[in-house]
Amino acid sequence: MSITRRIFLRNGAMAVVGTAAVPHFLTRAALGAVESGGRTKRLVVIFQRGAADGLNIVVPHGEQAYYAMRPSINIPRNAVIDLDGFFGLHPAMSALQPIWSERHLAIVHAAGSPDPSRSHFDAQDFMESGTPGIKATEDGWLNRTLRDLPSATDKSAFRAIGLGPSLPRILSGRQPAVALNNINDFGVGGRNPNAAPVSNTFEAMYANSVDTVMQGTGQETFEAVKMMKSADPARYRPAVGADYPRGRFGDSLKQLAQLIKANLGVQVAFADIGGWDHHVNEGSTQGQIANVLREFSQSLGAFWIDLGDLAEDTVVVTMSEFGRTARENGNRGTDHGHANVMFVMGGPVKGGKVYGRWPGLEQSQLYEGRDLAVTTDFRRVLGEAVDRHLGNRALSEVFPGFDNQAGKFLKYLG
Amino acid sequence: MGFLRKQAVHLIAVSTLGLALSVQFAIAKKEKRNPAAVQMDEQKRALHALNRLAFGPRPGDLERVTAMGVDKWIDQQLHPDKIDDHAVDARLAPFRTLRMDTRELVENFPPPQVIKAVAEGKQSLPSDSARRAVYEAQLQRYQEKQERKQDAANADPATGAAAGKPAQPGASDEEQARRREDRLYADLKAEDLLDLPPDQRMKAILKMPPEDQRALETSLKGDKRDEFMEGMKPQQRETLMALNNPQQVVTSELMQSKLLRAIYSDRQLEEVMTDFWFNHFNVFIGKGADRYLLTSYERDVIRPRAMGKFEDLLVATAQSPAMLFYLDNWLSVGPNSDFANGIPKRNPNYNWRRPPRQRRPAQVKQAKSKRSGLNENYGRELMELHTLGVNGGYTQKDVTEVARVLTGWTLKQPRQGGGFIFEERMHEPGDKYVLGHRIKPGGEKEGREVLHLLAHHPATAKFISTKLAIRFVSDNPPPALVNRMSQTFLKKDGDIREVLKTMFHSPEFWAPDAYRAKVKTPLEFVVSAVRASGAEVNDALPLARQLQTMGMQLYGMQPPTGYSMKAETWVNSSALLGRMNFALALTAGKLKGVQVDSDHILASNGSPGDSQTTLAALETTLLAGDVSRQTHDTIAAQMQTTDPKPGAANSQPGTGVIAGLLLGSPEFQRR
Repeated sequence: MSITRRIFLRNGAMAVVGTAAVPHFLTRAALGAVESGGRTKRLVVIFQRGAADGLNIVVPHGEQAYYAMRPSINIPRNAVIDLDGFFGLHPAMSALQPIWSERHLAIVHAAGSPDPSRSHFDAQDFMESGTPGIKATEDGWLNRTLRDLPSATDKSAFRAIGLGPSLPRILSGRQPAVALNNINDFGVGGRNPNAAPVSNTFEAMYANSVDTVMQGTGQETFEAVKMMKSADPARYRPAVGADYPRGRFGDSLKQLAQLIKANLGVQVAFADIGGWDHHVNEGSTQGQIANVLREFSQSLGAFWIDLGDLAEDTVVVTMSEFGRTARENGNRGTDHGHANVMFVMGGPVKGGKVYGRWPGLEQSQLYEGRDLAVTTDFRRVLGEAVDRHLGNRALSEVFPGFDNQAGKFLKYLG
Repeated sequence: MGFLRKQAVHLIAVSTLGLALSVQFAIAKKEKRNPAAVQMDEQKRALHALNRLAFGPRPGDLERVTAMGVDKWIDQQLHPDKIDDHAVDARLAPFRTLRMDTRELVENFPPPQVIKAVAEGKQSLPSDSARRAVYEAQLQRYQEKQERKQDAANADPATGAAAGKPAQPGASDEEQARRREDRLYADLKAEDLLDLPPDQRMKAILKMPPEDQRALETSLKGDKRDEFMEGMKPQQRETLMALNNPQQVVTSELMQSKLLRAIYSDRQLEEVMTDFWFNHFNVFIGKGADRYLLTSYERDVIRPRAMGKFEDLLVATAQSPAMLFYLDNWLSVGPNSDFANGIPKRNPNYNWRRPPRQRRPAQVKQAKSKRSGLNENYGRELMELHTLGVNGGYTQKDVTEVARVLTGWTLKQPRQGGGFIFEERMHEPGDKYVLGHRIKPGGEKEGREVLHLLAHHPATAKFISTKLAIRFVSDNPPPALVNRMSQTFLKKDGDIREVLKTMFHSPEFWAPDAYRAKVKTPLEFVVSAVRASGAEVNDALPLARQLQTMGMQLYGMQPPTGYSMKAETWVNSSALLGRMNFALALTAGKLKGVQVDSDHILASNGSPGDSQTTLAALETTLLAGDVSRQTHDTIAAQMQTTDPKPGAANSQPGTGVIAGLLLGSPEFQRR
């Protein structure tokens, strides 16, 4: 496609601006999947912000060194949910156990970024830009993923969604993406029908603005508002058994499921969950890490149930900026480390297996003598989902400078 | 020529006119005349200054600053102690917590730990009746919670409380029914109490049993709450709130004070800088004891040093209970310190003749694992976020060394409001090497030495200057400006006021492409909208809640990075819709406790006439008349289409809607 949607809108927008009607091509796009019978492939990316402690999440309970280095915060062998005789899930993650048993949940251990930074800010930045060590990258890899997607629904304003009050780095870039805090507030004047003229005036004001930043965002916003109104995702309630825990992360996934069920053409989505930076009193089977893991896995578990058949076309992948020190520190916590664990969940995922090479926890095996070493580049894991699931073969554009040949994939998607 | 004239004005004060003129000439030659500075006229300069050094203009500000002269106003803002700020002091007077030290806050508004101590008989109840009522209400809640835990454990001994599931359904149904009844009863009670005069009302409340007090407090919502508190003294209101949630009194007063100062203080630059430094040395209000520590942190650590020496600010934050607690340094122990080795305190009565009791290795080991290691959290953020910046040339080794240096910088009972102490027993002995410098053993002095080193490092000068320029000039500040600011920083011993002067007097600051180049953060947007509309804020909490939904909760940034000041973070669909809705709600008078009198705004700019006159007048008041033709035409067109239907009384878009459209316009999103 030589003319992108955005350029088309820039030049042709005046025709539709100022009217409350939904442009025809947008409604068509919204319903496209139904009309054509085509299936929208979706990638959902979850970020655990604050550096989750991968060693207490997927526990190497077969490693004696693990227990030696973490005298007070280890997860005892008899408490883990055993996965394969060597690794086990933290007991607060029982909500994910059924998905593992159904072989729709895969784990990649000792994954991470080759960049040595232990700065939350930098490491998150690198994982979102997809270019470790390069700060000048302006856009996020999930945005670049949208460039070459073979899909009928690429005109939807909701094809790229960031759940939360601001658009994350990972989604920023040239392709339109929408930040969405709450689907019920997404519009001008709420559900008040008298607000329509005011909403239209705002729309025209932004469409006509010479302030290009405001103009572009305004346009994306009002397109999305109209589509949202006609699709009315709020009417989709969570499926029976999909019990989202209270909290922002559960809310994010619940709303994402509503958008997906309303057939709004979501292709990539992003949500994050904080509260992982456990320098002090991390806890073991109970305590801080258990609480946040419970929220994390119950939310994912509910999302899985809620999606029902739609999970067939959905892949969820989780990441965190780096892992934490292999040894506990002086405050029954852990400091900033290196490699971490990633989860991949979805219909097409060949789950029930821990992927990646385990580097070991003996002193000589540790990165810089203190952290779990990285044996799988995070871009390898993400690249496989982008290529095999979404069908974007231009991985050298999504992750520039990284040799991401299909032959090197972990093959968790077959 | 503004920046040149400004320098001249300064010099006149200390020298003769002739000398000043010759110096001015010298500067003019050195700095090169910048046509940009010439182009911004005085009115535009005033607006620009108000948008950058202040949270935007209030009605009348533009005229005042223009009349005074922009340079003189800037100079005044740089010396806040010379600005009378009685008006804002009066607005803050009802918030008693703002004047309490941390210990008083904890005593008056007890956190759960204090209540637990009282419940366990380790601490006694206060004698003062109001304070006692607050404790008793919390004690009752605590006991209920304990009982519930006990019930849950009894009901399901196999899984116990660990399952994290609600108790039996039967029990919770019963409880719900009881709560419903309590609420009903509380509603009736509240009606009765309303008939009493405020003082007697309060007395009657204090006599009620604790469970009734709490139910009453919970039942008071919205208008009813306002009516109920009408005529009560600040202390009485606080007590009433504290019956339900004592720590919320502390945090909500702090949030309200921040907004009220930003909106009403005449020391605007001081507020901007206090916000800047708080964000730079960010501490999250949701982390444990920090709920009680931020009141003092902002008041005693940040604000007094907001325009002082950087090193003073750095040391004060390093020793502040809020920071020591937030970034865990108070817990960091030298691995080879006496504390870690289980060596008891050497007190004066130590009997040297009696050999020390032999500890078995196992015991020592246990003590070690309890609390015996370094915590790198603060050491890292100190260099990455507070001083050098992430590319400032430090290594992981430096992080560990700084953490070693700062062992022993700890707190005495932070949850009870105790302050900074240096604990020699926790301090790591031996030499340390930071950024290539050898730090000789010197206890607390080592930390001072490292902070001095960091505060005067060229990387710090550049990092701080860049950040200031991003806040005040543009998202991508000109490197030449940052360099000159860094030079000033290094030459003037990190004097923040001097660095600001360099920036405010630079041609880059006044360049036309800097005008409205910055997108407002949600805080800047909300505060500037309230200021522009001349609103009367009786309750700032609704504004604080709006900021939370816009993603910028006050004191609510969990990671130590603080909030972004760049456009990319704040321009997106959710944010834009949030701003439009806020603008409409504000001008329609739908935000409780915030009154906007649109007609009053109009009155200051001509008489109310037809809608076109109204629009013009509002453009002048809210945006200093600088509205794009596109925005003006769009609003004007909408007024045309909704012009009066025959017979309908005033169906034109009201003044409020027009004002809302202007505050939600692209122009108002920038400063």
